[in-house]
Amino acid sequence: MNKRQALKAVAFVLIFLFLLRSVTYMLRTNGTIKEIFVGFYAEPKDTIDVIMIGSSPVYPYYIAPKIWGEHGITCYPLSTNQQRPRAAVYLVEEALKTQSPGLFIFELRQYAYEESMMTENMAYTRGVTDNLKYSLNRINLINDMVPEVSERYTYYFDIFKYHSNWKTIILPDQYTSFLYERKHPLKGFELNTDVVAGEGKDYSRLAGTMQIPAEQEEMLCRLLEYLKENDLNALFLVSPMKMDEEMQKKYNYMEEIIVQYGYRYLNLNDYYEELGLDFATDFYDGGGHTNILGAQKCTEFLGHYLAEYYNFEDKRGDEKYDSWQTAYEYWQECCKEGMEIVEGNIEGAQKDEEGKE
Amino acid sequence: MNITSFAFLCFYAVVLFLYYLIPKKAQWMLLLAASILYFLTAGELWLIAYPAVSVTAVFIGALCIEKTKEPVKRKRVLSFVVLFCLVLLIVLKYSNFGAYTYNGLAARIPFLPGSLPELHFLVPLGISFYTLALLGYLFDVYYEIGRAQHNFLKFALFGFYFPVVISGPILRYRDVEGQLYEGHKLDYKQVTYGLQRILWGFFKKLVIAERMAVIVNTVYGDYASYPGAYIFIATVCFAFQLYADFSGGIDIVIGISETFGIRIAENFSTPFFSRSIQEFWRRWHITLGVWMKDYLFFPLQRTRRFSDMQAALKKRFGKKAGKKMAAYGAMFVLWFAVGMWHGGSWKLIVGSGILHWSYIVLGEIGQPLWNKLYAVFKVKKDGRVFGIFQQVRTFLLVCGGFLFFRSACFFTACDMYRKMFTTWNPQVFWNGALLQLGLDPVEFVIAVVSLLLLLAVSVLQQKGSVRDRLAGKNIAVRWIVLYALLFYVILLGYYGPGYSAAEFIYQGF
Repeated sequence: MNKRQALKAVAFVLIFLFLLRSVTYMLRTNGTIKEIFVGFYAEPKDTIDVIMIGSSPVYPYYIAPKIWGEHGITCYPLSTNQQRPRAAVYLVEEALKTQSPGLFIFELRQYAYEESMMTENMAYTRGVTDNLKYSLNRINLINDMVPEVSERYTYYFDIFKYHSNWKTIILPDQYTSFLYERKHPLKGFELNTDVVAGEGKDYSRLAGTMQIPAEQEEMLCRLLEYLKENDLNALFLVSPMKMDEEMQKKYNYMEEIIVQYGYRYLNLNDYYEELGLDFATDFYDGGGHTNILGAQKCTEFLGHYLAEYYNFEDKRGDEKYDSWQTAYEYWQECCKEGMEIVEGNIEGAQKDEEGKE
Repeated sequence: MNITSFAFLCFYAVVLFLYYLIPKKAQWMLLLAASILYFLTAGELWLIAYPAVSVTAVFIGALCIEKTKEPVKRKRVLSFVVLFCLVLLIVLKYSNFGAYTYNGLAARIPFLPGSLPELHFLVPLGISFYTLALLGYLFDVYYEIGRAQHNFLKFALFGFYFPVVISGPILRYRDVEGQLYEGHKLDYKQVTYGLQRILWGFFKKLVIAERMAVIVNTVYGDYASYPGAYIFIATVCFAFQLYADFSGGIDIVIGISETFGIRIAENFSTPFFSRSIQEFWRRWHITLGVWMKDYLFFPLQRTRRFSDMQAALKKRFGKKAGKKMAAYGAMFVLWFAVGMWHGGSWKLIVGSGILHWSYIVLGEIGQPLWNKLYAVFKVKKDGRVFGIFQQVRTFLLVCGGFLFFRSACFFTACDMYRKMFTTWNPQVFWNGALLQLGLDPVEFVIAVVSLLLLLAVSVLQQKGSVRDRLAGKNIAVRWIVLYALLFYVILLGYYGPGYSAAEFIYQGF
């Protein structure tokens, strides 16, 4: 084999790998989580102030365009369903590749649950691994999150999993994601207008602690150590949910650990009154996740909290952030429509209740 | 380690990389080490003892035969080693044949008592392939067609050579002797051609065979609900599945070997274009046919017993008829052995053996009748239409055997034949029923397009090397074609988590 042939072979392989990467990006299952990550990668370098990492109590709770519109702070969620706490460090590293956020927010709900609950369906693991761009960090994440060595190759090369999605490639959302970069119109926020009433009880005065699963405690400590070592600022957050004694004690337990490391802890379940949260109208699943009504309340609170306790520069009016202004305007339109729908849903739910009575 | 698995591809890539990295003198040793490693990872570790024992026996036997000049002693050694290898093969693969046969009959004939116990042995990978390859070598040494190998490790490479143990082809020592042990320098054309061949094999296996399998499994899994034309359609699909599966596997094997600089025998030559059963078997599983003819059929005709039988038949039925009858007898043994090689069950003995023998015999006996019919219908024997008719006829006859091959057992196959011919439902061809067999309309179109692509390439293959033709194009066309095929396989192939790709059908042999 001469030099020319060797070069041809290398060129062929490189083009193949480039095409394979793009095809895989396009074929990864479309939906909320993919949109969020594709949107994150599309954000210009060093433009995000706050990265929010955690499970599903992130992207339907906090309306990034609203925080921008009211405070000039840019927030973006790196959130996936049932996100395993093990992923947190890797998501921070992924974020730091393109952004230098002044604050990382970590939502704590998953730290209260057993790991087995999150591994019984590998879709939860894939939610993270298969939404990152190809990189060494992604390989490390897979090695950490997938214990079965023989299965890892299907994660490294996720085309093994997603090739059967080829029929979706004709969808604009899919073929335009060939670089895995396309701006998210609501900066990662997922709007929900359903209303399913739940019962919320205030346990904010409940003292006492209960140990969280050992593996999650280890992950929490690993994350705290990592943040300390890398001198990163962080806020540990608990989003509103239908609470019980056990959960409150577990959060108290986490708080003790977090505070020991010198980080801030904020449990929004301790501020139902301040939030103005109504479990009858503000959730789409009876107290697990907020709808547009609840999201506005949580966002309002978090926005003020960020403005009060952190010194983020108000960047409104800066041309560099035009897409945020566009997102805010789009959010206002969505909000108007969404509120009409949600109000209708509330009326409908009330009528149903009256009918039952 | 299935040869379409990611693990195998990694294994192969590492071996290929090392192969051209180490000194040429050591290349064959690397192949031997890789082959042993492959055997060890294929199943229980101790199963490697079977091929090891066979390889050792044949190696020593060949040396003894070469050393001995005395014909009786040579014959005795040959008989002993052949018997030893065949006993091993029969015990491991065919020990239940008698029990199956008896139990099958006992279940249907009231006065036959009880049932015989079945024995279950773990069978080493590719036993039918390596046993035949080793015996072929021994016969060659015995007939002094080939020389004996004096280096045991070199001979072991021939016995263990990993690409071919999975589904053949059956190697002939004298064809590969030089290539296996001589050093090979990295040849761009050879490696790229080999990789292209591997890709084509993947296309056949993952895109066509696995798609066809969906329809085949649906119908054969519940043929009572899918009688008549369904069985016909599923059997035709199975013919394509089996061809794509077996020849696809062989393409991968030949491609792998080619990248090592070792050219091994072709096993297929567009068999569905055959105009007769004889031609079909010259183009389907070629190495098995050649082996059976060289080492069973011709030697059988040279035996004294056969000559005596031929003489007796000639005396009784006349010279011409007696000669033919003796030849048909020898052919029966040949076809029985071909069927038996496929496995110890009557469905395979009939479907892959005796049925084909009967086609050939009936074809020859009925020749005067066919000639009359040709004359009545004024058939132009060298015309294109008649050629197509012959190809279709041969294909359908072959499908008749494939029905046995694919069905659960001989009696099931008979029942399927009954259900196929006693139900008249041609409407399934146009009422959309075909789309209810597991492939949705899009998948169905992909299956048809892929088969057309296979047909187009097969037609081109008749005219010469497709890879040479492609190599003659400019780089842009070449690369576009290769990338298109690569992504066709990657996107439309049946593989990955959640999908358990079937093993190669011939892997079980």
